[in-house]
Amino acid sequence: MNDTTVEASNLSKSFGDKQVLQDMSFGVSPGDVVGVLGKNGAGKTTLLELMLGFTAPSGGAVRLFGHESYSLPGDIKARVGFVPQQDELLDQLNVADQLRVIASFYPRWDTSLISRLCAEWGVDMNARIKSMSVGERQKLSILLAFGHKPELLILDEPVASLDPIARRQFLEQLLTISADGERSIVFSSHIVSDIERLANRIWILKEGRLDWQGDLDSLKESIVRLHIRSTAPELPAFKIPGVLNLRRDGGFATAVVRDWTPEAQEELESASVQIEVESLGLEEIFVELHR
Amino acid sequence: MFILNPQSGVPIYRQILEQVRRMVASGQLPPGTALPSVRDLALRHTINPMTISRAYSMLETEGLLERNRGRPMTVASQSRNHTQLPKRLEQIGPLVEQTVVAARQLQLSETDLVKAVRREWEQNDE
Repeated sequence: MNDTTVEASNLSKSFGDKQVLQDMSFGVSPGDVVGVLGKNGAGKTTLLELMLGFTAPSGGAVRLFGHESYSLPGDIKARVGFVPQQDELLDQLNVADQLRVIASFYPRWDTSLISRLCAEWGVDMNARIKSMSVGERQKLSILLAFGHKPELLILDEPVASLDPIARRQFLEQLLTISADGERSIVFSSHIVSDIERLANRIWILKEGRLDWQGDLDSLKESIVRLHIRSTAPELPAFKIPGVLNLRRDGGFATAVVRDWTPEAQEELESASVQIEVESLGLEEIFVELHR
Repeated sequence: MFILNPQSGVPIYRQILEQVRRMVASGQLPPGTALPSVRDLALRHTINPMTISRAYSMLETEGLLERNRGRPMTVASQSRNHTQLPKRLEQIGPLVEQTVVAARQLQLSETDLVKAVRREWEQNDE
């Protein structure tokens, strides 16, 4: 038995002479829910596809359950579930037939779970896939990835077309999956508030690099906005480690910093300035990291 | 039992820590009170279970909560006595500081502020 579900070391990927991912090292443990954030074109989909072994890395390696992704044995593949950005449903089938096709690949398929979820999520077994809306197709393609109870679930923008109610049902189901602490989920999304609820770990991709990785809780504690004040008309000289951006205005300054610690606060306060620390939500942190 | 806001800049584990500390200190959660399970809380609030277990573990280390085999965590018996007044005052300290800073920015006098607090106190009591 292997402890880590996913392990990547110095992973990189180029297409032609275009470098898409550079030197990424990370791990995913059982029970982790990883939220992957990044602007369009930051490399999220490429990263997920490398993890799934759809394409070979140009450098480094990524392993799932101890096996190199690009050459996963069939029994390991069966422990992984994937929801692609573009669904791969078969237009000519109806829902029940599509479910049967996928279920036939997996001995562990949980028919009763999927029937229950279909009913709860309002997915009509008799609907013809061709005539389903984008949102309905997305629900079905999520269900197809749940049915074999994967130990690792990878989702690429799974909820872009879902309404808030359907998204909430989907989040609740993912939480149910992760609550036993044994399965792992990696998902990318632009809906930051979903990531804020669901994820315990965050990867922020920026220009093909892993700009920040760690616990969501530590992210919120280490990236903060400081409001700095002095009784003197001009602020005395001070140095703040890890400043992302700083605005001075006479006896007042605001700064967003990325490595905030209680020690840094003590040190700054000894420079005879007053500091108020403002915590930031994930969306604001993301924006500040891209200023 | 908890008011949790995932969109807040304050990490969820800290929101839980602070609320349990306050409720235990004030006696609102007497010793022996069972806390909701991690799973229940996660599903009820739609938030990650790991962040809740982290908060519970830290509260256990602090001695505020007790882990019971196969049963929900409970408020520890040592915390029976309402925590001493200075300790409770210390907990409300940061909020008082923020209020005072805001009052000074608004150029309110000490009397104005105390009056406002008293008014709020009385309304809240009704």
